[in-house]
Amino acid sequence: MGVHYGRQSRRASWKCGCALMAGALMAPALAHHSGAMFDDKVSVTLNGTVRQFQWTNPHCWIQVVVPDKSGPVEWSVEMGSPSQLFHGGWNPKTVRVGDAIVVVVHPMRDGTKGGLFVSATRGDGTPFGAVAR
Amino acid sequence: MRSVPLAVAILALACAAAAAPTAAAATTAAAAAPTATAATTAASAATAATAATAATAATAATRSSARVTQFARLPDWTGLWVSAAWSLGISGRPAGGEQELKEKLQLMRPPPYNAQWAAKYQAALQDKAALATRNATFKACTRSFPALMEGPQQFQIATLPEETLLIFENGQVRHVYTDGRPHPAGDDLWPTPLGDSIGHWEGQTLVIDTVARTASEPLAPRAWFAMLSDAAHFTERLRRIDADTLEEQLRIDDPATLAAPWILTLQFRRVTGVNRMIPFDCVENDRNQLIDGKLIITNP
Repeated sequence: MGVHYGRQSRRASWKCGCALMAGALMAPALAHHSGAMFDDKVSVTLNGTVRQFQWTNPHCWIQVVVPDKSGPVEWSVEMGSPSQLFHGGWNPKTVRVGDAIVVVVHPMRDGTKGGLFVSATRGDGTPFGAVAR
Repeated sequence: MRSVPLAVAILALACAAAAAPTAAAATTAAAAAPTATAATTAASAATAATAATAATAATAATRSSARVTQFARLPDWTGLWVSAAWSLGISGRPAGGEQELKEKLQLMRPPPYNAQWAAKYQAALQDKAALATRNATFKACTRSFPALMEGPQQFQIATLPEETLLIFENGQVRHVYTDGRPHPAGDDLWPTPLGDSIGHWEGQTLVIDTVARTASEPLAPRAWFAMLSDAAHFTERLRRIDADTLEEQLRIDDPATLAAPWILTLQFRRVTGVNRMIPFDCVENDRNQLIDGKLIITNP
């Protein structure tokens, strides 16, 4: 359990800064709002427990409580819309309160405990099951 | 199971209509006849008001059979469709990355502006700070036309004899009237983000004519500085090119801004892996608030 930051070395992050600037000018794309708030060059792995799964528009959210040195910290993980998750084989019961979860996010640039969903597995490493339709 | 006989009857009628419109019309007229006869009999023994009712019923029966014939000639575009440029995963992000998406979006390309508008457009693009701010802070829950046709929203197409409806998952609906009416005249026509659309069928191709689009609307999200005049005229030719693909030729005429007509070809693919439309909206639980020029995540 805990938070793992997948950041580059200092030299790499200088390059990364240039790429980010280019990215901002390049026009990020997202259905509901700009994606520029998320740092897509950094991946954070959250190993914690699901407190809430919001199956809502315009975005679904997983609230993950992650143990930290100073105590539990709650992260807000933004996903696509119910339409997009449904299309991906999810439904409102795919993730349940109390589930152990390992979720990778692109974190907020402003340092708040939130991020954009990249991928997730259950605590034991198995995938969240997709429903065949 | 009680609905099965009715469903079979409807299916049989639809098949007959598809195979032989004239026969279907005759069948419908025959089926409607007992009702009309009964009404006429009642009228002869009762009041003038009842006679009027009978006449209305007879007219409705005739119109109904003609309508069934018209219905049978329309293509079957049932199902869910989405712009072929978009492929969003469960993250809500383009599966192939943002650069790949940008390259696919035709409305992101520079319009074939005349010299005056090309200069304005290029000057606007030079303001990188303004562009970056717009790109970093935008929220888009609805789209204007034609951006709606190249957006990520899934849509359904309902083809009726009188109109074709394009029903998008975010609740936006394009009404394309195909009953032969013209655009509204004079002051009854005013600019709107979707414009005013009328259409007609050329075989299995729907030809849509759209005017009165709001001039201040950018052509698409992220194409903030690409504008057209309020005299822009849009012609879409929409047809199915295979079982799972619709293709639309979109022609934009706008002599006030364009040096030549802008002709784009958009494709829509059939959405698979879903069995119904899942509605989208931006009000149920919008946790991305724009505060002091920054998008933030609010607490649940």
